[in-house]
Amino acid sequence: MNQRLAKPYGSLINRDQPIKFSFEGTAYQGFLGDSIASALAANNQWLLSRSFKYHRPRGTLTMAGQDANTMIQLQSNPNALADRELISENLRVMAQNYSGSLKRDRGALLGLFSRFLPVGFYYKAFFKPRGMWEKWAPLIRKKAGLGVINQQLEPDYYDKQYKFFDVVVVGAGPAGLQAALTAAVDGCEVLLVDENPTLGGSLNYARFDAEGLRGQQLRDQLLQQIDANNNITSMTDAVCNAWFADNWLPIIRGKRLYKVRAKQVILCTGALEQQAVFHNNDLPGVMMSSAAQRLIHLYGIRPGSAAVIVTGNNDGYANALDLLDAGVQVKAIVDLRDTPTQDAISKAIAARGVRILTGHAVFAAQKTNNHLSGVDIRPITSTGICGPQSESISCDLLCMAVGYTPTYQLVCQAGGQLSYDDSSAMFTLTNCPEAMQVAGSVNSHWDLDACLAEASRAAILATNALGFTETTIPEIIAKTGVSPNHPWPIFPHPSGKEFVDFDEDLTIADIINATRDGYEHIQLVKRYSTCGMGPSQGRHSALAAARLVAAATKRTVAQTGVTTARPPFAPEQLGHSAGRSFYPARRSNMHYRHVEAGAQMLQAGEWYRPAFYGSANDREACINNEVVNVRNNVGLVDVSTLGGIEVRGKDAGEFLNRFYTFAFLKQPVGRARYALLTNEAGVVIDDGVACRFSDNHYYVTATTGGVDRVYQSMLKWNAQWRLDIDIANVTSAYCGVNIAGPKARDVLIKLCLDIDLSAEAFPYMGVREGTVAGIPARVIRVGFVGELGYEIHVPQHYGEALWDALITAGQDQGIQPFGVEAQRVLRLEKGHIIIGQDTDAMSNPMEIQMGWAISRKKPFFVGGRTIAELQKKTPLRSLVGFVVDDLSAPIPLESHLVLQGEQMSGRVTSCNYSPTLGKPIGMAYVDPLSAQAGSKITIKSSGGVRVTAEVVALPFYDPNTLRQEL
Amino acid sequence: MKLLTCPLNGPRNISEFTYGGEFHLMPDQNKTDARQWAEYVFFHDNAAGVVTEWWCHTASTFWFLAERNTITDQVIRTFEASEVFSQRKAFSVIEDQA
Amino acid sequence: MTTLLRRSQLSRRHIALGAEFEQIGDTLLVSNYGSSEEIAQAKSLALIDLSTLPRTGFKGAGATTWATSQGVKIPERPNLALLQKDQSLVVRLSYHELLILSNIDPLSTQIERLDSMAVGPQTYTLPRADSHCWLAVTGSQAAEMFSKVCGVDLRPHKFANNAVAQTSVAKASAIVVRHDLGTTHCFYVLTDVSAAEFLWDCLIDAMLEYDGGPVGVASMRELAAEG
Repeated sequence: MNQRLAKPYGSLINRDQPIKFSFEGTAYQGFLGDSIASALAANNQWLLSRSFKYHRPRGTLTMAGQDANTMIQLQSNPNALADRELISENLRVMAQNYSGSLKRDRGALLGLFSRFLPVGFYYKAFFKPRGMWEKWAPLIRKKAGLGVINQQLEPDYYDKQYKFFDVVVVGAGPAGLQAALTAAVDGCEVLLVDENPTLGGSLNYARFDAEGLRGQQLRDQLLQQIDANNNITSMTDAVCNAWFADNWLPIIRGKRLYKVRAKQVILCTGALEQQAVFHNNDLPGVMMSSAAQRLIHLYGIRPGSAAVIVTGNNDGYANALDLLDAGVQVKAIVDLRDTPTQDAISKAIAARGVRILTGHAVFAAQKTNNHLSGVDIRPITSTGICGPQSESISCDLLCMAVGYTPTYQLVCQAGGQLSYDDSSAMFTLTNCPEAMQVAGSVNSHWDLDACLAEASRAAILATNALGFTETTIPEIIAKTGVSPNHPWPIFPHPSGKEFVDFDEDLTIADIINATRDGYEHIQLVKRYSTCGMGPSQGRHSALAAARLVAAATKRTVAQTGVTTARPPFAPEQLGHSAGRSFYPARRSNMHYRHVEAGAQMLQAGEWYRPAFYGSANDREACINNEVVNVRNNVGLVDVSTLGGIEVRGKDAGEFLNRFYTFAFLKQPVGRARYALLTNEAGVVIDDGVACRFSDNHYYVTATTGGVDRVYQSMLKWNAQWRLDIDIANVTSAYCGVNIAGPKARDVLIKLCLDIDLSAEAFPYMGVREGTVAGIPARVIRVGFVGELGYEIHVPQHYGEALWDALITAGQDQGIQPFGVEAQRVLRLEKGHIIIGQDTDAMSNPMEIQMGWAISRKKPFFVGGRTIAELQKKTPLRSLVGFVVDDLSAPIPLESHLVLQGEQMSGRVTSCNYSPTLGKPIGMAYVDPLSAQAGSKITIKSSGGVRVTAEVVALPFYDPNTLRQEL
Repeated sequence: MKLLTCPLNGPRNISEFTYGGEFHLMPDQNKTDARQWAEYVFFHDNAAGVVTEWWCHTASTFWFLAERNTITDQVIRTFEASEVFSQRKAFSVIEDQA
Repeated sequence: MTTLLRRSQLSRRHIALGAEFEQIGDTLLVSNYGSSEEIAQAKSLALIDLSTLPRTGFKGAGATTWATSQGVKIPERPNLALLQKDQSLVVRLSYHELLILSNIDPLSTQIERLDSMAVGPQTYTLPRADSHCWLAVTGSQAAEMFSKVCGVDLRPHKFANNAVAQTSVAKASAIVVRHDLGTTHCFYVLTDVSAAEFLWDCLIDAMLEYDGGPVGVASMRELAAEG
């Protein structure tokens, strides 16, 4: 039977555009604008899913995307909400969480065993013996599963965007519309955001008067003004998913996450209708009264043919009028109140002859074919208790109108306080931050005019605070009218199955048993029972659970409180956080020369660097060849990533003296000096060389990964010392190479005509300025790899030209590029440490045998006092070199343990096969007692194999440094 | 995301800044015993209430100071380091150190 | 000195896009990418590489005093830019730091002059032409595009002409300067030269949604002339 109503019902759908889709393999037709749930409802398909634990049949509950009942599987998206997701041509929709078929789910038998699945089941059943959980988890996960991720799917493009507004109004119901209009004064940029497809909120579907005219009239009038106002930007289908510090709002629309900064926020987030709790209250056909009204007005769908309404307020009567107008037979209004308040709407109902049972409740619902078929009505004898007199009424629709909770999530995330008054069953919100206002039903205003007045007032507060207006602030809007919240719409049944939390299949007994198991605090009840932890995050369970816990622990709901609702408000797709992110990548000017030479590039921090040149399959051979060529001929390595900092001014020497451990005041011009950096705790944090180009000019290198921190640290210290210097980070302004090997001079001499390269004129640790291949260059004689070598630093844009010139000039000498990996081996052979690899967050200079780099003759340096104290103590460990003579042993790797007996006494920091020595060499922290050359240490290598290594004096290679001083 | 007002660059998202630790004046290392020095280096006040902190605007490497209430996370004010450090700093020397 | 014409770190990107280069001074810039729509593109949303144009920087307690003595007009406060008589743009980054950017046509005379002379006391040169790449984003949708990569509100009514922001663009530290070309919005972005390709790719990606793309300096010249 087609449930579709004629126009003007169905404001969201376009009847001229039919759309075909399938659900569970059956073809259906809906209209453009239909959600999956509404299109299925139009075809009388109400069953949408099976519940999480007991596999109970579930259908539409809110029609607003606020519950987990409508979760369905799309090819691209598991756990999609059928009442949120629109149909599209040929969309394939499947139900989820059933075994067999949706109609006949074998898993539903679990419901029969529900007494074996008590609250806290997981904790109780799997706490011991150990290993039980691992055994059962796969089965339980399968039964209690949600949707399935399609791993074949090509990921879509998700991204982010910043937005800036003076005022953001969240929620575009009557209060939100009015707040936006009042706030949109001259110059004030307003964003109005709503998660629904259209603006208007309840004006689109709720009934505010007996005639059913006011909502639409007000909506048309407000929307017209909004449309005409250029200061208002509207975003629909957009959910404001959290509130973060200083009004930072993540708003999700489609595949984009908007990061919105608002100077003022006005929350008009409305209220969420709550279910009544009774036996079988979760059957398809049982829904919120607002869901029935949404079906009728938004989608033009008759929500049933024969209806019963259970109500605790007069909204149930308005709902009855809507149902009657839509041609639904209203069999009875079951009013929980003994003496309902009378208004025009309730009088209109009486006039239409609808049967009204006051002081009655729905005690139970009955089902046929997975759908509601009737209700058991009983009189209420006392709070939550029904008398024995029973009347069955057959119906296929039960609407629940027993009250609301404010949509308080964002308010509370901002520090707002939610409280509850047990006598009126009303909520209040207090303690909002200054730049946040709340208005409307979220603030427990139920009268439409009061909502509008409060929204205007909130907007005036906002624009006054922003300085746009100086309007007199209206009086606080008094809360008039009767509370729509019935204090106790909860009716236990001997057979249970009165659901408090639909997501997690929790019943009255589960909540009460949680308190009996000793978990009386509402937060503990939540964690123990999982109440409120499902996809709908307690929207419909928090209040009922709080009431039950309050009663069970003999407290008020106010004393019990409700659980906190943390971000996100609505489920987010991973794409929204994982979508387009920025990872800056840096390339040296010579980058493409490495690529063209066949380098395997690696990313070291942000920088691309050549690991080695050649095929990845020949890794070891390539690295060894590069090492051998540096030792025998000459190699060229790109060191552009090395940090470079200019320290200039008359206090430049004084600054370095204070900043680094060594002495720099008497450093001769034209010389480089090793610069070791410690922090105030005496821990080694960086190193480099300081090149003195003139009395007032040092050029200091720093490690690739450390330079930004070193530069920041330099500026921080000089903000305190106020020395007469300037510090500039010029890392990227210079490209650099290290040309190293016994034939390095023979190559460089061809290109460098204006510097005397002879060993006497330009000794080891000398620095010169001149030209190389006509390029202005700073040339530094360093020995990181242990051979005659020159670091050549040139302005960045000459990098490629310098590289080409050196490679060409070095052909006769057998020049070959070498990569980071060969460089690591070469420096290890030479016994040079790498900060951060051979040091850690505790390493002091003495431990790493760098006591020689500490000057004791200066009044101060950073870390100096701490180092002086450390020098008085016996060191706890020593960094030593070791060799492994057993070539059959697995080569130790970084972080392998050094053992003393079975106790850890240290660890390996670097270890490589040395082509030069023909065996593995490495560095390790060891007990100082084992630090003497000749000591044997035991290393727990790969696979737990104990490898014996011998401690040797560093360096491994060229101990008399003859080669680097050639 | 919090906002922080840089004295040079104005209000910016806190992700543009680097935290530089609690602000403390360094005691004179030559007049401080080991215990007091360790207090300065290793022990942080971690006070509940208004504290002064170092912050650096990363893009411009501009260091400044902020007074922040650690209970409410309200930043009370930010100001340039020169308000505190206006003179060239000299370090004491112990004469008989040799 | 080598006589090589100066090429941008991005030149491989330009060649791949079919760029036609032109020589300005001793550098090469992309004149156009072969499209006849480039002026319209630049008015809507476009990316231009200016990295090889002259620029320099001065820093230190005496920098503004010295620069003033050399006839440089100093913006009244940090994070402002000021157009000079020779059409170069002086960007004041802090109390004691200046960045000077050349015009295209004609090239600024001031930059080469300042670079070639001895600086005054407490004044230090910065190799800005080598440390940073220099891109321009032009067109009516520029600010909208920036909102996808930058957390500072660069919309024209919030970020005036000649305003400067030192901030993060696509997570890379950057100097953003608004310097309109006639009536067309134009934002300069200077970021670490080693991240030039990264930033270029990020901006091209962010522009796709608005049909933005790269154009050459020929269209930039046209737009400046229109104003």
